[in-house]
Amino acid sequence: MRRRLDARRITQYGVVVVVAVTLNFLLPRLMPGNPLVLIAGVDVGLLSPDERAEIVARVGLDAPLWKQYLRYWGDIVTGDFGYSFRSSRPIVDMIMERLPWTLLITGLSLIVSAVAGVILGAISAWRRGTKADLGMLSGMISIESLPSFWLGMLLISVFAIQWGVLPSSHAVTPASGLEGWAHTWDIISHAILPVATLSILATPGVYMTMRYSMLETLGEDYIRTARAKGAGERRVLFGHVARNTIAPVVTVLALRLGFAFGGTVIIETVFTYPGLGRLVFEAVSGRDYPVMQAAFLVFTAAVLVTNLVADLLYPLIDPRTRTS
Amino acid sequence: MVADRREEAARRTARRRSRIPTLFGLTGGLIVGILVCGAVFAPWLAPYDPTERVARPFLSPSSEHLLGTNDIGQDLLSEMIFGARVSLTIGIIAAAVALLIGTTVGVVAGYYPKRLGSVMMRGVDVILILPFLPLLIVLAAYLGRSLLNTILVIGVLIWAEPARIIRSQVLSLRSREYVLAARSMGAPDRWTILRHIVPRTALLATGSFVRAVSSAILLEAALSFLGLGDPIQKSWGSILFWAQSRGAFLTPAWKWWVLPPGLLIMLASLGFALIAFSLEERINPRL
Repeated sequence: MRRRLDARRITQYGVVVVVAVTLNFLLPRLMPGNPLVLIAGVDVGLLSPDERAEIVARVGLDAPLWKQYLRYWGDIVTGDFGYSFRSSRPIVDMIMERLPWTLLITGLSLIVSAVAGVILGAISAWRRGTKADLGMLSGMISIESLPSFWLGMLLISVFAIQWGVLPSSHAVTPASGLEGWAHTWDIISHAILPVATLSILATPGVYMTMRYSMLETLGEDYIRTARAKGAGERRVLFGHVARNTIAPVVTVLALRLGFAFGGTVIIETVFTYPGLGRLVFEAVSGRDYPVMQAAFLVFTAAVLVTNLVADLLYPLIDPRTRTS
Repeated sequence: MVADRREEAARRTARRRSRIPTLFGLTGGLIVGILVCGAVFAPWLAPYDPTERVARPFLSPSSEHLLGTNDIGQDLLSEMIFGARVSLTIGIIAAAVALLIGTTVGVVAGYYPKRLGSVMMRGVDVILILPFLPLLIVLAAYLGRSLLNTILVIGVLIWAEPARIIRSQVLSLRSREYVLAARSMGAPDRWTILRHIVPRTALLATGSFVRAVSSAILLEAALSFLGLGDPIQKSWGSILFWAQSRGAFLTPAWKWWVLPPGLLIMLASLGFALIAFSLEERINPRL
């Protein structure tokens, strides 16, 4: 999985952007029923023909498709995502308000799952075939089969309701008037359960990559050479194996972040956490299509940025990719 | 002496390693077998009709209603037994759709690797980059809530991984002697592909299919949980959607209303994942 940023990658990312924007443009226009409902958010049945024509002209649905398409691109390039059907607020504002919360919990869970996955994966590979390896492997496969929302619901039931030690929802206590450290602790305590859920779910991916990539390194000739010249186990593990294993793991971590972002739709819904994911859920249940679309573009951008980071990081970590 | 002991240890490890796939496969097969039986014999196993209001709402478990009743007085145990039908059917058919697309793309891209194949694989890469879950949700929201739409949305989004796997197999198959022989004797491409290529991707395709079922079951649950599932045919995910919207996980009811359906989803997904794991190990040992 060696990565490098080259012309091919850049084209690929360009195509992804075009596909995402085009999907957004076409979906509401291709769906059965009157596109006015999906694009202008109005109940078509209640309008007089004149009113209907006026709205069609205002949102530009009377123009030829290619003109609408160009206009759509123009809006996106200038950062104009339009207004929410429900709250009539500019969508950009809504997204900016939600983004920090999502960044907070995904960022924290990335750190936790990275540490846990790397350590457990290394132990597993080092002890390949033992009971510990088998146990961890089955544990991780089981976690991958967990419905994410269910894990969140269970954590709420146990920690917030049964034991009452942590808050079950929201990012801060509403109207608490807390300040300073109390406020910080308030934010942290609200983040613990969502971060724990996301971390548990993200660990198997890191673990599997770490374990596999380390098993591969362990089979390399230079490891045998190191052993043959009498290097101690510890020296082999940290000096030779770990250093050569870390590159693919970092790539996976960067890519995970993009996907963890998408996963927040479900986790933030369970915890009523006011991030971007919850916004998507609210938009979907309120049929607020423009908000849904804008959020989809933000998620796409997030995935592209993390991919780009992976491309740029890889040559720094793994010098073998620098030549050629 | 030391070398002997090391060798002995290595041999023992190798033996144990080969047992892991079998162990996983048998466990997975057992789980899937039990769940499928539950789904098939649901009308005989379920104590009540899951669509009938048979008791007062929000009942705790009792000898008459082993898992209590839901917010409109339907028997939860019966709902879960019948839910197996919806969840497993969607999982299996969506995976079949994905496999059909994936195999077609994989075989064509692998057999014509030059221009057509490389363009197709670029397309596959693009699909793999798009933010998966948000895209799934957006598509499902536009298409509307029905069994068929859920199947289609999941199916058309999870075929890319199988396509990749099958393509790499086809790439290596197409330069095998018997394929070259067939082609040099003037066999048409279609015949070569159907006669020599496709049958030999069967094992790999089976592995991809089983893995796809495992993820499709989870995706269906997630969609239903977000309220995007079929409103009439209740799956395990829909039961959890109602449990969530009625706040069941904030009351003691979580033990019989939230815990069991999630456990069933997990078991179903795990069962298929374990089978997939053991198949993949057989084809390409990695454990």
